[in-house]
Amino acid sequence: MMEKMVFGRYIPGDSFVHRLDPRSKLIFVFIFIAAVFLANSTVSYALLLAFTLMSIFASKVRIGFLIGGLKPVMFLIAFTFLLHIFFTKEGDLLFELGFLKIYEEGLRQGIYISVRFLVLVLMTSLLTLTTSPISITDGLEVLLNPLKKVKFPVHELALMMSISLRFIPTLMDETDKILKAQLARGSDISSGTMKERIQAVVPLLVPLFVSAFKRAEDLAVAMEVRGYRGGEGRTRYRQLKWDWRDTTALLILLAVIVALWFLRG
Amino acid sequence: MKKNLRLRSMIAIAMLSSISFVLMLFNFPLPPFPAFLQVDFSEVPAIIAAITMGPVAGILVELLKNVLDWLFSGSPTGVPVGHMANFATGVLFILPVWWVYHRLSNAKGMTTGLILGTISMAVGMSLLNYVLFLPLYVKFMNFPVMSGEELYQMIVLGILPFNLLKGIILAAIILLLFRSMHRWIEKQRAVYLG
Repeated sequence: MMEKMVFGRYIPGDSFVHRLDPRSKLIFVFIFIAAVFLANSTVSYALLLAFTLMSIFASKVRIGFLIGGLKPVMFLIAFTFLLHIFFTKEGDLLFELGFLKIYEEGLRQGIYISVRFLVLVLMTSLLTLTTSPISITDGLEVLLNPLKKVKFPVHELALMMSISLRFIPTLMDETDKILKAQLARGSDISSGTMKERIQAVVPLLVPLFVSAFKRAEDLAVAMEVRGYRGGEGRTRYRQLKWDWRDTTALLILLAVIVALWFLRG
Repeated sequence: MKKNLRLRSMIAIAMLSSISFVLMLFNFPLPPFPAFLQVDFSEVPAIIAAITMGPVAGILVELLKNVLDWLFSGSPTGVPVGHMANFATGVLFILPVWWVYHRLSNAKGMTTGLILGTISMAVGMSLLNYVLFLPLYVKFMNFPVMSGEELYQMIVLGILPFNLLKGIILAAIILLLFRSMHRWIEKQRAVYLG
């Protein structure tokens, strides 16, 4: 599990979607989430699904990867689908077997909701699959910049996010090491009764907290020595660049939204 | 030394958020309750942040942990309702602990704080679920609308006892931790808040 989580879900690549600026991808996904709720007819849901599949195609992400990430959600989708099938009793009766009655409206609603779910999950997964967490943070920092006017500490939050992201792999290694050391002494946090688990987690946490505060001290000194003075006038190693791809992607999304608006039932 | 305290606490908050995020991955459901109610130990680093660096630090740890989790695992509804609920739960739990411990910095204060935190989390989340989170789930997932009666049942039989139990488990861990880390916590407090 540790190895798998280290780089999150990001898969490096060189597709159209990978090359988009994180800012445009974030704007795209946020607008898309809102736009999904516009759909309310068969044609509009079909359009959403087609558009999502097209985006996946443009990202060149292997379908297997997406399906793998969908497994926990599949259960949720199946559950809501069945809920609608059994409990929505409107429209014509389509099928009857004993106490089981399936109505047209129930089937329709069930399919609509499953598609809505699928589309939302696929699009947000596509964002995290094609954008590294650190570029998402960079993108969010720039997008939230206007909030600086109301004294919202955008730069500080982004800095904390970057530091957190940088140290997750280190911490996971450390956790892994401590876990193994504890395992060698016969304590295991992943099994046993609640009481045993609670007792096993304490010796894991103590060294983690102590080293976190030690690291904070060292890193603060290291940053100040290198001239860190907060967000004012800071220059950047990772530059964000908005180009024709980003404009194109947002224009396509706009076209889809206009189409959705006209296809509404 | 004093000068870089702000940067130092920012970095410490970031580190504690990473720990919190890693702990969140080890979540597990409690058998009698539905699977979407899960226990994890990620509130512990937030408590440490709140009592050593003040309430804002604790709230930031809760915020960053949820943003990290959203970045890494996404949200089944697209809109992170679960993450917002987790954030609210955490904040409701840590604020009373900070408030009491701030005034009575010993094992007794910690115990009182944790009891109050558990109550505030259980009661607060029941109310928030009633007026906000469960209706949001119903809206985003188009669950058939729950009647007031069903919602009430779900909260009284599910959310309330679950959060009480979660609070008790967390309190047990934090008290055990507090026993071995009390001196260290006081030392950090003197540095960051003193």
